[in-house]
Parts: sequence; C-alpha cells; structure tokens
Amino acid sequence: MSENSRMDENDNDKKEVSQEKMFTLKKWNAVAMWSWDVECDTCAICRVQVMDACLRCQAESKKDFYGKQDCVVVWGECNHSFHYCCMSLWVKQNNRCPLCQQEWSIQRMGK
Amino acid sequence: MSRQRKQEDNGPFKRSVDTPSSQHSKRRRLFETDENMSDNSVDPNRRPNFSNVGYVQVGNGFSRNLNTVQLKPTAAKKIVIKNLKSEPKLPEDYRYQTWEKLSSAVLAIQQSKSNQYSLEELYQAVENMCNHKMAHTLYTELYSLTETHICLNIEQFLAESMDRFLFLKKMNETWQNHCDQMIMIRSIFLYLDRTYVLQNPNISSIWDMGLELFRKYIVLNTLVQTRVVEGLLMLIEKERHGDKVDRTLLKSLLRMLTDLQIYDSAFEQKFLQSTERLYASEGQRLMQEFEVPAYLTHVYKRIQEENERVIHYLDTSTKYQLIHTVEKQLLSEHVTNILQKGLDSLLEENRIDDLTLLYQLFSRVKNGLVELCSAFNAFIKKRGRTIVIDPEKDKTMVQELLDFKDTMDNIVQTCFNRNEKFGNSLKEAFEHFINQRTNKPAELIAKFVDSKLRAGNKEATEEELERLLDKIMVLFRFIHGKDVFEAFYKKDLAKRLLVGKSASVDSEKSMLSKLKQECGGGFTSKLEGMFKDMELSKDINVAFKQHLNNAQDLIPLDMTVNILTMGYWPTYMAMDVNLPEEMVKFQDIFKEFYLSKHSGRKLQWQPTLGHCVLRAQFKAGLKELVVSLFQTLVILLFNKYDELSFDYIKAATNIEDGELRRTLQSLACGKARVLLKIPKGREVEDNDKFRFNNEFINKLYRIKINQIQMKETSEEQKATEERVFQDRQYQIDAAIVRIMKMRKTLSHNLLISELYNQLKFPVKPADLKKRIESLIDRDYMERDKDNPNQYNYVA
Repeated sequence: MSENSRMDENDNDKKEVSQEKMFTLKKWNAVAMWSWDVECDTCAICRVQVMDACLRCQAESKKDFYGKQDCVVVWGECNHSFHYCCMSLWVKQNNRCPLCQQEWSIQRMGK
Repeated sequence: MSRQRKQEDNGPFKRSVDTPSSQHSKRRRLFETDENMSDNSVDPNRRPNFSNVGYVQVGNGFSRNLNTVQLKPTAAKKIVIKNLKSEPKLPEDYRYQTWEKLSSAVLAIQQSKSNQYSLEELYQAVENMCNHKMAHTLYTELYSLTETHICLNIEQFLAESMDRFLFLKKMNETWQNHCDQMIMIRSIFLYLDRTYVLQNPNISSIWDMGLELFRKYIVLNTLVQTRVVEGLLMLIEKERHGDKVDRTLLKSLLRMLTDLQIYDSAFEQKFLQSTERLYASEGQRLMQEFEVPAYLTHVYKRIQEENERVIHYLDTSTKYQLIHTVEKQLLSEHVTNILQKGLDSLLEENRIDDLTLLYQLFSRVKNGLVELCSAFNAFIKKRGRTIVIDPEKDKTMVQELLDFKDTMDNIVQTCFNRNEKFGNSLKEAFEHFINQRTNKPAELIAKFVDSKLRAGNKEATEEELERLLDKIMVLFRFIHGKDVFEAFYKKDLAKRLLVGKSASVDSEKSMLSKLKQECGGGFTSKLEGMFKDMELSKDINVAFKQHLNNAQDLIPLDMTVNILTMGYWPTYMAMDVNLPEEMVKFQDIFKEFYLSKHSGRKLQWQPTLGHCVLRAQFKAGLKELVVSLFQTLVILLFNKYDELSFDYIKAATNIEDGELRRTLQSLACGKARVLLKIPKGREVEDNDKFRFNNEFINKLYRIKINQIQMKETSEEQKATEERVFQDRQYQIDAAIVRIMKMRKTLSHNLLISELYNQLKFPVKPADLKKRIESLIDRDYMERDKDNPNQYNYVA
C-alpha cells in the first residue's frame, strides 16, 4: 500500500485518503422511540398520559392478542387529541371537543 | 386345688344332712364325692376328721365315680344310701390339737425349719377348722403368731453403726423372707383366706395382714425407715455419679416400699428433693465448665439415664415428676444462659446435630421453644444486618444472602422439625434486616438477576437458573421498596434486550411471570410491553428489508431498527448527533416507511443505544469491529483524515463532551486501540490529537470494543433512584388525598400513621410533611383554622 509513504510525506496534514476506505459501515442497529404525535401529553378527559391506556382500560386491563392494551389516540379536526375510548364516550353526551368547544369530527386515528 | 360342685348332676348321691344352718354349711350340704373316698375311710389316721364330718372331700375324679355308677345301670343291686343313725361329732380336743399342728408348721416356716406335716394335711386342717366355725379363732391365732415373729425381726435393724449397704442387704433379705414365708403360710391357710376373710370385709387377707404387720413393726419404725430411705438415696446417688450399684437390690426394696404403701410418703418426696438438689448444683457447675454442645449432650444423657432408672427400679408413677425435675434443673433454669452462650456459634457454624439436640431438649420444657425461636430470630437479624449494612460487601451481598437463607432454611427443616413458628420467624427476621438499608438491597438483587440472565453466563443450566431465580424471588418478597427493584430491573432488561445479550428468552419470560405472580400485572405490564416491542420490531425489520429492495442508489448497509414504545422503557438522554450522509438517508427512509404504516406517531432516534458493525482495513489485514454508534461516528471520520484534533471531532460529530471523551478513551486507550492518542495518556484532554492506528494487530477477526461505562453507571444509578423517588411522590400524594377524601378531617399524627399503613416503601416523616405542604398549596386540603394540627379535605 502506498499509504505509509504518503503519510510520511505529509505527516501533519489532514489529507484525504485514496478512494479505498479504511472503514466501511456494514451493519447498523438503530434504536428509536415512538410516541403519539400529540401537542398535549395527557388526555384531557381521563387525565392519563395518552401513551398509557386510559383509566377505564387500565382498570379493565383489556388486552388484545399480544397482551398490549388496545387504547389508541384520536385527533379531531381541531387537532386536539384524546384516548379514543374516552372520546367515544364523550361524544355521546356532547358532540364538541372538550378543549375548544368546536364541533367534534375525527381527523385521524392512531394506529 | 380344684373342686367341683355339681349340685344338679350328682342328684343320686344327694343326701340331706341336717347340718347346722349357717349359709356356709347349707351350701356344703350337697354330697361331694372324691376318688379317694375309699382311702379316706381306710386311712383314718391321715385324715382323722373325715369320716366324722360325714361328707366326702371332692376331687377331680368325681366324674369317674359317677361314670362307674351310670355305666352299670343293669346291675342287679341298687345302692341305697341312708342317713346316718347319729350325728357325727368332733373330738373334744380337736381344735386344740389341730391348732397345735398348724402353729408348729407356721413356726417351722418362720424359722426355716422342716416340718413334719405334709402341706396337704395342713390345708385340710385349716379347711376343717373353718368349716367348724373356728375360722375366727384361727385367724386371730395366726395374727398373733405372725405379729410375734415380725416383732422379733426388728431388733437387728436397730443396732447402732451399721454399714448402710449391709443394712439394706439385711432389710432386703428380711423382706424377701417375709414374703416367702407369707406366701407359704397363705398357701396353707388359703381356705381361711377364701372363706372367712372374704365374708368379712373388715378383715384383711393373710397376705395383707403380713404386710400390715411388717409395715407397722419394721418399716414404720422411724429409725429403720430413715435408714432404708437414706440408704436407697445413697445408692441412687452413687449410680448417678457413675458407680455400678446393685439394681436388683434397689428394685426389690423399692417394690417393698410400694407394697407397703409408703413409697409416696416415705421415699418419693425425699427422692425428688435430692434429685432436685443434685441437678441444681450440677446444672450450675456444668454450665460454667462445659461448652454448650457438651452440656446439651450431658443433659440428654442424664434424661436418658433417669428414664432408664424408672424402667429398672423406680415406680412408674415417679416418672413424670422425676423427668420434670431433671428438665427443670438442667434446662429450664438455664434456657436463657444456653441461648446466650451457645446458640449463635451453633448457628454460625451450622452444627446440625447439636442444633437438633438443642431443639429436642428445649421442646421438653415450657417456653423453651418460644425462647429458642426468639433467639433464633435475633441471631438472623444480627447476622443479616452485617451482610446488608456494609457497603464494602455490596458485591457479594446477594450471594451471601442466598447462602444465608439456604443455611437457615436447612436448619429449620432438619433441626427444628419444620416448626411453622420458626419458619415464620425466619421470614420475619429476613424482612426486618433486609430493609435496614434502604434501596441498596433491592438494587443489588436486580443487578444480580441481570448478571444471571445475561448471555455468556454459562455457570448454570436452565434448571439451575430457574431454581436460582426462585430463590431470588424469596429475597425479593422481603423487600419493601419493590419500585427500586423494578426501576433497576427494567434498566438492565432494556440493556439485555437491545444489545441482544439475553441468555435465554425462556428464562426471561419465567422471571417475568414470577414477578407478575408476586406483584400483580400492574407491576409487569410495562416489562411485558418491552418484550412485545422487541417482537414487533422484528416484523417491522423484515418488512423494511423488502421495502429497501425497491429503493435504489443506496450503499449496501444492513440496517435494523428497534422501535420502542415510549413509557415502557427507561428514559434515555435525548441528544442530537451529526450522522454521515448515507446514514441520515437510511434513517429518513425508515422513518417514512414506519410512519406510513403507523399514522399519528412520531419517532425519536436514540443514538445512545445504537450500535454498528464496521469493516476495517488495517495493514495486517481485514477486521470487523463491533462498536457503538458513537464509536462508529468517530471512526468514520478517519476515512477522510489520518489525524484529527479533539475539537474537530467534537464539532464534526456533535457528541456530548463527556460522552465523546469516554468514546475516544475506549478507542485509543482501551484494549483494542484502533486510534492512537497524542500525547499518550489515560485521560482525554482538550488539546489531544488522534491518529488512525494502521499497525493495529489483533488475533481475532471480529473485535468488540466496549464502551467505557464506569462513570456512567454511577450517574445512571442516581438517575434511576431519582426517578423512583419522583414516582413515590405521586404515590404519597395519591395516598394522602385518598385518606383525606374518606376522613374529611384528620389530625396530623393520625394521617401519618394511616399513610405508613398504606405506603409499601420506606419514607421519612419529613418527606411526608413536604407532600402535605404541597397538597395544601395546591388546594387539595387545608389546615383547620382553630387547630393547626388538624387538616380538612377540600373538595
């Protein structure tokens, strides 16, 4: 290899190495955390963090096949978010967003 | 002597003799026959009274005669028995003569001389006298005869200065003689015994009469009695001191006392007193002289000996009191002393046999086991505390606790007879001392589990591991601050899962189910969520691989991503770092891919947890480096430049200062030095420069370069504890509000005591006060206006 001679010539210089890389990335094991993309961490209806299951679900410890509590988040057109369970009970009494009093319509559901 | 009276059968021989009308005689009126009938008549000298009496003594040959008669029914002659012409009469001097005969026989017996009359003859004489209403006289005569004889015997026992042993021998001899003689006399006077005595309840039998007289004249004599009892006690004491004594002599004399009915009054009391005295002093002395095990063995031997004594010569009625006395003097009196002096060392040295003996002996005395149990409890608390309390021993604490528990369990099992009280006491003691030091044992137990569940731990098979986990769960049960355990366990579990270092999924799952069983689903739901995240990530990665196949212009990089649910996992420091272009590209592709599948979510990358495999070309050849993401970022910089300054690396990667220093340290100062630090040294300074080490040699192809974690751990540990305390605050708040909501008003002290009942972790009263203050500030409750020590709930 010609590296040695080249390094001798320009010892202190930060010099580009030839096209042959000394290190190549072969495998990468990355880690990421997911959370609901919400503005407020807690569900205004049950006062529990949206990442956790809502109070009712925690009490019933309702579980799906994998044992995960199936308690997703729902966003309204107003961009406010709540537990889906909490909201579906709420709209039976009052079809408005509890935070901004706009008429409630679902923008999207967590999945 | 067998007589048969067959009133009905011998009807033909029946003859009504008009004999005196006493009931006794009436019964005798029936005709009795005897095989010696003819003899009787032929030899009147031998039984001179017979023919006169007019009836025949019955023998067992009766039926033969009867048969003779009945077998000849055809005989021409008929035997007719007629009444006697005149009533038979006794000779005048009959009574005198007969008594002469009898008294001479009795005297002969008493003097052990031979007797001229046959026993049969004498018996007959007695019977005849009885039947002629002379029984009373006979009895009186016999009484006075015996009395005189016994009175004569007393002299020999009153002599001064007689050797005690000889005295006892003599007494025994006299007693034996008395018994023999009385048996003989009774045999002769048996008929008297069976008729006259039986019919007069106030008169004692000949045997009893003998006993009474013996008792009255000999043994009730104070001097004699004292001598006998003292002699006996002396012999017994001699035996207790280990000498051989004549047990038969003892037995016989004690039987004498029992027979004379003075065993209780004359002997037993004194015997028990002397026993008590002896063992009281022996107990005192030996407790001083002997070690506890030797003492216990001695006590056991003593009890054994006394039991034997009861079997061999004492009366069984003494047994309970005797054994009780021994136990009391040798054990009860010294219970505390024995426990103080010896229990700790016995337990310490695991002396199974001695402990078993101790338990057996103590179970004999009242309160013995209670005392033993509390001493056992105190020992565990004391010993356990030394294991737990010393920070220097933290490394071995859990293993020591496990060993200690094993030993103590074994002692309860084998030595203490699986006594439930001891088992419970053991648990109580463990729970007590393990919580003497807050939080640390919980943390160390969690770490111990981690070390066992981590891959590369080949010291145990699955079954052994399973058993170990069970044992650990027992320790876990004792711990009050279970939340501390959970926090550390979770952190370690996260590491195991993310680095793929878990030894076996089965063991992990089994540990999880044990925790669930112990603390309920709430405790483990997040831990379970972590496992689920790992499984879901696998599926996602498979899908992502397929997705990548469609993409173009990508370097060949094998990327996998673990997607963790926020909240299930420990929180990690979020930091932004500069990734190389290709990596960012991959990251973006993945993010897009993931969010398209899961709407409403957001992803936060965790660079601290990532790791990579690099291919590295050194002069000596190709190597593979297994490194963390941070190490990767640093190393990749050297693709462009051979030498870089610390500042440049810091700016280029944007890794946090401390983290970067540790990373560089691991690469340039560790075992596998891929970089060279200029100047050399252990610590990374601001002005250091780093160079690619082309001369790198390592015999392995695949090299793992560990992150340096020493400092981090202590920080992490603090952070973990901090988080636990945070969580506890909420729990305290919740508990206060719960209680106040129910009670409406409550004094400070009552509130605090209720809180201690509800909270499962240790808290200081000062912390509780702070929480109460905070709740008052937040208008959950208020101080009573009149009484500052009273709180009111505010709805």
